[in-house]
Amino acid sequence: MKLQVKLALYNAISKAIIIGAFGAIIPVIIQGIVYNHIDKRLSARLEKMMRMVQKGGLNEISLDQDCSFDSYNVFKEEYVSISPLPGLPKDFGKRTVENTERLIENEVLKHRVLSQAFLYDNQLYEIEIGEGLSTVDQLNETIKRFTIQILLAVILISIFLDLGFARVLLLPFNKIINKKLKDVQHPSSFDATPVKTSTYEFAHLDRSINEMMQKIRETFQVEREFITNVSHELLTPISILQNRIENILNEPGLSNEVMSRMVETQKTLSRLTRIVKALLYISKIENDQYSKSDEVSLDELSYEVTEELAERIEEKNLHVNIDFEQPFTFYPCNRSLVHTMLFNVVSNAIKYSKNDGSLTIKGNREGDMFSVSIIDSGIGIPSENIPYIFDRFKRFRPDDGMSYGLGLPIVKSIASFHKIELRVESEPDKGTHFTMLFPVQLS
Amino acid sequence: MNVLIVEDERQLSHEIEIFLTKQGYHCDVAFTGKSASEKVFVNSYDFVLMDIGLPDYNGFQLLKEAKEAGRDAAFIVLTARGSIDDKITGLDLGADDYLAKPFSLLELQARMQAILRRKHGLKNNTIQIHDFIMDIQNRTVSFEKNVINLTKKEFDILHYMALHKNRVITRIQLTEHIWGDVLEEDYESNYIDVHIKNLRKKLAAFANSDFIETVRGIGYRLNMP
Repeated sequence: MKLQVKLALYNAISKAIIIGAFGAIIPVIIQGIVYNHIDKRLSARLEKMMRMVQKGGLNEISLDQDCSFDSYNVFKEEYVSISPLPGLPKDFGKRTVENTERLIENEVLKHRVLSQAFLYDNQLYEIEIGEGLSTVDQLNETIKRFTIQILLAVILISIFLDLGFARVLLLPFNKIINKKLKDVQHPSSFDATPVKTSTYEFAHLDRSINEMMQKIRETFQVEREFITNVSHELLTPISILQNRIENILNEPGLSNEVMSRMVETQKTLSRLTRIVKALLYISKIENDQYSKSDEVSLDELSYEVTEELAERIEEKNLHVNIDFEQPFTFYPCNRSLVHTMLFNVVSNAIKYSKNDGSLTIKGNREGDMFSVSIIDSGIGIPSENIPYIFDRFKRFRPDDGMSYGLGLPIVKSIASFHKIELRVESEPDKGTHFTMLFPVQLS
Repeated sequence: MNVLIVEDERQLSHEIEIFLTKQGYHCDVAFTGKSASEKVFVNSYDFVLMDIGLPDYNGFQLLKEAKEAGRDAAFIVLTARGSIDDKITGLDLGADDYLAKPFSLLELQARMQAILRRKHGLKNNTIQIHDFIMDIQNRTVSFEKNVINLTKKEFDILHYMALHKNRVITRIQLTEHIWGDVLEEDYESNYIDVHIKNLRKKLAAFANSDFIETVRGIGYRLNMP
């Protein structure tokens, strides 16, 4: 769940709890206050009634035939009733207050009633003074409804405001993630300008990433220098050896035996040279030392590469078929690298082809990628070897003294440099299907 | 022909010196940028073979100074750094060619000859190979009035062998010449045999092509009187 959603939900829930609690407590308090006021009013009236009774006797109040008296106001909100009691109640003299429902003239009404027993003229009476509760209940009902409405409104407004606020608050965070981590292809292209934010934590994160990147950049720099040094330190002695062998081969009067051993030495040295060069090549690609500003037409490049390999194709009498559904120009890229990649894949396909086989280069749009497949009818790769074909120095065939297991690793590093996806499907004795998926720039 | 070899690696400059002296060049050697700078300005050279990675001097700086001073020697930049930027910088500063170490001495000689051809604008841009005439400008080989249809690589091989006539060229040397910049898994030298076989066949259709001799276990030689 997104942080901003979490924050908004948390805020909404906490507000709901607070408002809910208020909504629950306030009616109780109001009820308490209102009852208190009613009770005071009732007591005052009771006393007034009692004074009236004491002064003028019950005769003052015209009693009914059954010696009782009832008086209601028009809306039955208040009433006084005096009625004789059959026996002495246990709590004689005490006033009691209760909420009761009374049937008054065919209408059930809730009242708060204060009652007291008293003795008059040797007769026990009970006086009751009541006040209607309908207004109080209405008030409580209104407050409850109001509370729920406010609660809902507050929660909704709060969620929207919080989402918006959190989004604004998190803007620098997203910016840091995108600018400092996601979009960084290589430490050398890292932009260390601080992301604008007033939030301490984000500034801290930004600073930490900058420091980390600085360290990575230094490490890369060291590696780059190392590569340059190694290339110089290894290639110079190789250079001496190569030229010395050439000079020795040029010496007159060498025996055939010595000559052919020198030629073998030259071959070995050539292999060493190519290994060093291939490793340097891979390092340079991985260190981002190639520019990426060319555009290459892949169909034209396919023709170019098969042309360059024409002799090998001819030697194996392969039937070549180049089939592009539509032309495709790949950019931005490094032409020389893309050329090397395609060349290596095609030359590999030829190498493992059987005589009189076929070689197809197919190009077609595949979703938001452009797919170029090199399909041969060669000896294929056993499925258990496929995961390892891009590993350096991995060879699955007996050492022929010439290959060194860096052809496909070069292909792989060029592919990842250009974000080209590689797919290999193969069946032993049937052939290999080598697919390169080129990202299509949408402009 | 005077050549100045600017190379701090003494063993390497020694091998280059041996080779070029045998080819009839007069060689002078400088191990430091400082002495190279002095020599370039005092003496007159046809070629300056210059290592870019000198300990005391930036080779490019030396190149720039010499070019600004109007020295008309041809400069060939030698470098083990093998970076494309170096190549571009070198050529921008007026170097005539660029060789990445390790390079073949035969390749060096071929480049020097190509520079000579360019510089002196040789009218006669052809080589007579027995009954065949090789036109370097138009990259064709012809017999009498017939142009022989050679592939790019076949032409390159014949040209390279003609430049180094009467000398055994190993398969590796030929391979490195025609596949020089290609970094692929393996360039088995037997492809060279295929090229030579085809080349012989195409030439033999017109005249005797026995002058391309196979030296068993070593390579090939183009024999010319």
